Amino acid sequence: MRISIQALLLFSVFVVATCGLVYELVAGTLASYLLGDSVTQFSTIIGAYLFSMGIGSYLSKYFNRNLIAWFIQIEVLVAVVGGSSSTLLYLLFDRVESFRLVLYLLVALTGILVGLEIPLIMRILKDRFEFKDLVSQIFTFDYIGALLASVVFPLFLVPFLGILRTSYLFGLFNAVVALVLCFYFNREIRWATYLKGTCVMAILFLMAGMVYSDKILAFTESLNYPDKIVYTAQSPYQRIVLTKNSHDYRLFLNGNLQFSSADEYRYHEALVHPGLNGIEKPEKVLVLGGGDGLAVREVLRYPDVKKVVLVDLDKEMTHIFTHHASLLDLNRKSLLSPKVTVVNADAFQWIKTNTEQFDFVVVDFPDPGNYSVGKLYTNTFYNQLKRVVAPGGQVVIQATSPFVAPNSYWCVVNTLQAVGFRTLPYHAHVPSFGDWGFVMATLEPGFKLEKEFLPELKFLNKATFEQMCVFPKDMPGKQTEVNKLNNQVLVHYFEKEWGKYLN
Amino acid sequence: MIQSFKALAGLPLAGSILNACVPETKKVIPGKLKGPDFKAGHLLRKALSVVPTQTETKDVVIIGGGISGLSAACWLKQNSDQDFCLLELEEETGGNSRGGKNAHTVFPWGAHYLPLPNNDLTELLAFLQENEVITGFNAAGLPIYRDECLCFDPEERLYINGHWQEGLVPNWGVPEADLKQINRFLELMAEMKQAKGTDGKFAFTIPISASSADENFRRLDKLTMAEWLIQNKLTSDYLHWYVNYCCRDDFGTDAKDTSAWAGIHYFAGRKAQAANTDPDRVLTWPEGNNWLAQRLRKPLEKHIRTGKLVYKVSLVKGNVAIDYLDIAQNTYHRILAGKCILATPQFVNERILNIQPEQGGNRNYKAFSYAPWAVANLALESPPAGRGVPLSWDNVVYGSKSLGYVLANHQQLQIYPENPVITFYLPLPDEDPAKARRMAYEKKQEDWAELILAELEKAHPFIRENVKNLDVWIWGHGMIRPSVGFIWGEEKAAAEKPVLDKIFFAHTDLSGISIFEEAFYQGIRAAQRMVEGKA
Repeated sequence: MRISIQALLLFSVFVVATCGLVYELVAGTLASYLLGDSVTQFSTIIGAYLFSMGIGSYLSKYFNRNLIAWFIQIEVLVAVVGGSSSTLLYLLFDRVESFRLVLYLLVALTGILVGLEIPLIMRILKDRFEFKDLVSQIFTFDYIGALLASVVFPLFLVPFLGILRTSYLFGLFNAVVALVLCFYFNREIRWATYLKGTCVMAILFLMAGMVYSDKILAFTESLNYPDKIVYTAQSPYQRIVLTKNSHDYRLFLNGNLQFSSADEYRYHEALVHPGLNGIEKPEKVLVLGGGDGLAVREVLRYPDVKKVVLVDLDKEMTHIFTHHASLLDLNRKSLLSPKVTVVNADAFQWIKTNTEQFDFVVVDFPDPGNYSVGKLYTNTFYNQLKRVVAPGGQVVIQATSPFVAPNSYWCVVNTLQAVGFRTLPYHAHVPSFGDWGFVMATLEPGFKLEKEFLPELKFLNKATFEQMCVFPKDMPGKQTEVNKLNNQVLVHYFEKEWGKYLN
Repeated sequence: MIQSFKALAGLPLAGSILNACVPETKKVIPGKLKGPDFKAGHLLRKALSVVPTQTETKDVVIIGGGISGLSAACWLKQNSDQDFCLLELEEETGGNSRGGKNAHTVFPWGAHYLPLPNNDLTELLAFLQENEVITGFNAAGLPIYRDECLCFDPEERLYINGHWQEGLVPNWGVPEADLKQINRFLELMAEMKQAKGTDGKFAFTIPISASSADENFRRLDKLTMAEWLIQNKLTSDYLHWYVNYCCRDDFGTDAKDTSAWAGIHYFAGRKAQAANTDPDRVLTWPEGNNWLAQRLRKPLEKHIRTGKLVYKVSLVKGNVAIDYLDIAQNTYHRILAGKCILATPQFVNERILNIQPEQGGNRNYKAFSYAPWAVANLALESPPAGRGVPLSWDNVVYGSKSLGYVLANHQQLQIYPENPVITFYLPLPDEDPAKARRMAYEKKQEDWAELILAELEKAHPFIRENVKNLDVWIWGHGMIRPSVGFIWGEEKAAAEKPVLDKIFFAHTDLSGISIFEEAFYQGIRAAQRMVEGKA
């Protein structure tokens, strides 16, 4: 009888040690993932954890009675706090003022609880062992546990279970030990039933966490989006997320809204029709960017158009817009039309080697928020663009918001002019975007705008377009530098203006 | 008690976890060790004494296919009808402007950029215009540079205090007092840029030989750059790092071993203006200056012979006899030329030039010393990032022994360049370059890989996992060291004097600094002197 009590308690020392180190490693790893700079994170987490263990052992002297019951109680607490710590950290990152404070509080709490346990267990066992045996045994199991944790954590737990499941699993170990101890000391401890109850509840909670950890991870992502996520894909270039609520679909690229199905018709009508409508017999149309096929949908309204070439870098984008049923409804299967050729290529590379000319060109790139995309708005690119426009042809470029980012917008206009394009700036109100800017450009002496618009359009008619060409007093044209590969002023303007707006 | 034990146990454990993301054994980085054919070069030391039986004649022979030799040849081709050939030891011409390539991109093995040339360098501007680097001139006569050749934005970033800042002049987290000193230094340099001597010439210009003879400026050659800074009460550690970085960048020497005249020339020699860019932009290409070397070489294909080791240049009956070994065929040849240009460094001339002292063969080569360099090209899985300014063309780590790295793919127009290659520059400055050179030759690829990764890990802790291949190129005699007293010293002046109007000399070591413009004008000047008898 005596021997098995000792064995059981020493086994629980082993479990406590293993779990304790795992929680420490989980916190360190997560902090490195989320905050970067792993040396600092591990170093400070370990320091904070060990110091908290010190606080725990200091506090242990205030526990004078019912030591076994307290040990079980603390074990359950460790199980719950440690087990759910990684989930809490994931959920709270980006959502609280000071993530570091939460992180260190959680580390401190776990440390204090774990720090309480070993002194308590030494006192529980003090009459059952010689002091020298007691010290030797407890340290032995403590350190074996630490070794085990440190080896299995990087080699098996993180690669095979992931961080969330790992913490739940070790929480479960703690809780199971607590439950076994409850039964074993059933007669000796106070509040046995209450303790058993909490053990069972903790076990159920942790098992649930383990089973649902994938869903939890998905949920942490979904918090970034107000609506239900119906599709996600990670391409080499961007994260594509499609959300849905009762009245619209929304597409996000790297977290930036690309369109809402409720008002995208405004954007795409404004993008395509003013430029395309005036062209006499437009046969060939080029769309750069716009892998969603929505601009192509508008282009295909013109029966004269015989050929549309769409160049989009991202295969994932054109894939979902040729496969996802709701999205096919949205773009009316435009990309599947026999008139349409989809090319997945880098637009700059493509345009340099392309020799074909087009009557109308739609340039619908992502906003110039980084130096990579910024290249597609430079005078060098626009010089290439000149080559692909057929005589009498027109071009349209989406050019961010002239209200929020006037220097960015007019920089696009001025850069087009600098390479010899005649420009016609205009803008439209798209509720989910705000006041959005476009630039029509041509190499001809004037624009062709006389014709009435197609009657089936929901937004545009001639009167509306005339208004769109008017820039009100608070949105005047601006002098800017020309955007070049060697200055990328547009990226600087864009960061500054949108940065100010979003903060 | 337990806690203190645990603390002892916990820390090494934590250490092992830190490495846990890295497999237990460090990843071995594959790659090759390369360099100029120094075995062939070292054949020279055996003082080959074979007298070739095969003889041909030429009007002119140019020895050395670096930028000076190529530019001399170009000038000859354009301005004379002389029958000439160019002999190069290596399999490829280009000298320090060598380049390489892998399946995805080209990259430099040496010199990798040309600052906008000063507007009075007519021949160089013409060369750039011929090759469409300059597309025209504006109404004010300023050159319009082709946008693809101007370094794209972002150009430079510096990793300092845990953050990538824009530009290389330290400012992120730099104390106010240091910033003031840095500004004062830059103001002084701006003054020096415009300074003129009593003879009306710029104090510092390019080519160096066109600089003012005013003793007020020339005496700066008699102290070191580090001493000059101290004399001007410029003591900031940040400033000293920056100036030291610049000396190593252009000369491969530390500021404490660099002539102050040369050090200031780095900042004050260039005064270019352009129609369509700020004056501090540089011209660069994915393969670095190899792009320029290829353009120089193009019209010369018929005249160039590579893999030819010249081992003796002597005067025979009023002609210059050039004896060389065809390395591939292992055959010996002699060319009897009317005249000859040695576009070779003086440490080579010392071995091959066989002229009696009374004819001008008495030359002091000891004053010429050369800095060794290591250049590595690393093929990466993905571009290196970091906090702050995004990946730029030139990426420098504050406090590092290296000059940082340049992204070879930067000038590609692709939106997201795949399979990036970075070129890592490590000068090996030492008061005793011969010792540094010996040590460099002893190292294996593994040794270089570890050394280079240790430097890169200062800014990119996990870069090892990202490296697919790491090739290293050792330049034993990378570039001339402008040590104190060298640029305006007698030895250099004596070494550039032609021998009997038959043998002419062209090399950046006769300028004292190893830059493209100097090499270009060394070649032109030697060819002009030879043909036109110009002094």
